[in-house]
Amino acid sequence: MSSISLPPGLAGPIGSPAQPSGEAPPRLPREAPKFWLAIVLSQTVRRTGARIGLAWVAVVVFCAVFAPFLANSRPLLIKQNGAWSSPVIQSMNWADVALLLLTAIAITLFFLRRILSGRWLAISTLGSIFIVPIVCYHVFPEQDNARLGRFRQMQASGELQNVVWAPIRYSPEDHQRDSFDRNRPHPQKPSDANALGTERIGASVLSRMIHACRIALAVGFIAEGIAVVIGVIVGGLMGYFAGWVDLLGMRLVEIFSSIPSMYLLLTFVAFFGRDLYLIMVIIGITSWTGYAYFTRAEFLRLRKQDFVLAAVASGVPTWRVLFTHILPNGLTPVLVSLSFGVASAILVESTLSFLGLGPEDTASWGSLLNQAVAAGGGFYWWLATFPGIAIFLTVFSYNLIGEALRDTLDPRFQGRAR
Amino acid sequence: MSDALLEIRDLNVEFHTPRGNVRPVRDVSLSIFPGQTLALVGESGCGKSVTALSILRLLPEPPARYPAGNIIYAGRDLLKTSEREMRKVRGGQIAMIFQEPMTSLNPVYTIGDQIAEAVILHQNLHGSAARKAAEEALHAVGIADPRRRLSDYPHQLSGGMRQRVMIAMALSCKPTLLIADEPTTALDVTIQAQILELLRKLQKDRGMSILLITHDLGVVAENADVVAVMYASRIVEYARVEDLFDRPQHPYTAALFRSIPKLGQPKDRLDTISGTVPNPANFPAGCKFHTRCPLTRKLAGEAGAETVEISNGGETFRVVARCVSEEPELREVLGGHWSRCHFTENAAGSITTPKLDAKRLTILATQEVPA
Repeated sequence: MSSISLPPGLAGPIGSPAQPSGEAPPRLPREAPKFWLAIVLSQTVRRTGARIGLAWVAVVVFCAVFAPFLANSRPLLIKQNGAWSSPVIQSMNWADVALLLLTAIAITLFFLRRILSGRWLAISTLGSIFIVPIVCYHVFPEQDNARLGRFRQMQASGELQNVVWAPIRYSPEDHQRDSFDRNRPHPQKPSDANALGTERIGASVLSRMIHACRIALAVGFIAEGIAVVIGVIVGGLMGYFAGWVDLLGMRLVEIFSSIPSMYLLLTFVAFFGRDLYLIMVIIGITSWTGYAYFTRAEFLRLRKQDFVLAAVASGVPTWRVLFTHILPNGLTPVLVSLSFGVASAILVESTLSFLGLGPEDTASWGSLLNQAVAAGGGFYWWLATFPGIAIFLTVFSYNLIGEALRDTLDPRFQGRAR
Repeated sequence: MSDALLEIRDLNVEFHTPRGNVRPVRDVSLSIFPGQTLALVGESGCGKSVTALSILRLLPEPPARYPAGNIIYAGRDLLKTSEREMRKVRGGQIAMIFQEPMTSLNPVYTIGDQIAEAVILHQNLHGSAARKAAEEALHAVGIADPRRRLSDYPHQLSGGMRQRVMIAMALSCKPTLLIADEPTTALDVTIQAQILELLRKLQKDRGMSILLITHDLGVVAENADVVAVMYASRIVEYARVEDLFDRPQHPYTAALFRSIPKLGQPKDRLDTISGTVPNPANFPAGCKFHTRCPLTRKLAGEAGAETVEISNGGETFRVVARCVSEEPELREVLGGHWSRCHFTENAAGSITTPKLDAKRLTILATQEVPA
């Protein structure tokens, strides 16, 4: 048989397969292998916009975590009858402890990231996010806000031998009834005692703003977290199964995107009271449609890829194909829109608070803004300016981060495709 | 006589599309015996990949449907097996490697994670044992320093290395049948040879069977025991590899061989087969090859032939009337050699299901007439 003729090199034995081509010389220093999301994030962080944004977010996070140590009517340390004690630590409530614990865990995990595998990092991160707050909620009692002025009185009466105050000497709930003349009405202009002035019932604006960082973060992340989970699941199913699942899913998306979420929020607040967590949940379940669109598009593109077929062909169950093989490849547009989404959730909460429908007696930037215009027609500039700047900076920062992420992922802005 | 490992009987695959039903696989029958390599050869769009994908039921259903036929593997019909049972077959008993090693690995996971996933799913191993199995699998496909490679991402490897990783993944669960869908098409020639050599070696070591899908007759000659040639959804010729290369019976196969360059034979232009593969949505009547068949045109030119005028691709010519009116059956025209044509020199023969086990192959080999 002669009609097939192969080049001589082809038919003969091949050089030892132990040295395949493409193998780097053994002595070359090797860069630690990186998974591309890590590359994308590290490139994003190098952009100036992202750095500015992250810097402000870091300030907000710092204020949120250490709020009780930054602004508190209870001193950090006191010496009473010759013994030292710390009223701040003794009075910490569950949220304070949970935030501190989570921060400690996050820092530990950051330093352990090279030792632990990716799976353990993910499990411990998610696990602590869910477990720590629940445990703390059940272990630590509700804070007692009665008589916040008592340490000031004790110091004045000479009961305390030594006092170390927090940088801002007023808790957000401290209405300073002892310190001011009953005849001088609140709000009061910025002064030495209250650097950013006081609000309508006498609490320090700066202290309230520091404690409000928690709400700003929580609204952004809890509301958008709910939205991302719903959006990714619905969008993923739509994109992967296509056909009638896609058809039904799209109708669901259309129904939800036609709900005017502000009116829904107003209605719910009117019926069920001004509960912050209810507000977050409602923002979450009305704003997932954008994530569903993005995830659907990504899944439609990725489901036809060879590695998905290869995964199915090696017997991987469908839910694993969906969420461990396709999802990590289609996460980037969701990440980009997440950073814009967090910004808009903060704005929604501020809007509600400004309308006077925000969480009751919880420190929030929007509710301070609300007080800037008095019922009688007066305008208190410090109540409008400082919370306004905080809202602006936070929303602006998230937008900067989102923009930097988008630019990193946009092939037109970089030399190499991802 | 040993039983076939995989037996496909009269497989039909239909795609339900808005513009009507398309049947890219029609009455395909073939058998793969333990340790054998069967090559499925054909041009693009002839249905060979669809056949392979339907063995593992990887075609989305709908639009795909199986109106007729059976795929018997280890005594059960894979077309009637539940999705849950199919997941155990996929990867665990029948593994598949794909054409494009560049895109068949998930870019976000290390190759160690990807191989270990298959091992965890099918071998009941966990943690470091799965890691160890992945390392052994990489070692078996000839990757140097497998332990360090486990933590590499696919983009850090060359095409040949990735195809080795794909093979390692496929073989990590010790399948009895490997479906290789054009495993070397995307690789350059030297890497191609290395990969084929590796497949042959692993097949010998483990005694598995291979269904090799290719359009490269050189690859067929080097690797296959049995060849099935597909054209326009049907098997047109089925034979032992030596018989097919020595005595191609179908005019399509013969024309394919004429279009291969030969060493030491000066030629200005290679022979080609005129026209293109017909669209599965619109197959010609009668023999599907009559629009391009050189044999029927030659016979139509002879005196006394009953002919019909047809046109294809802007060209008008005469073909034998029977080729247009009647579709030929797959007949055993020579011992162990099946062909689907009305007019080859050995056109007579009984209509049987093509099947060539090891025993039959040995008998055929001893009977071989020197060419």
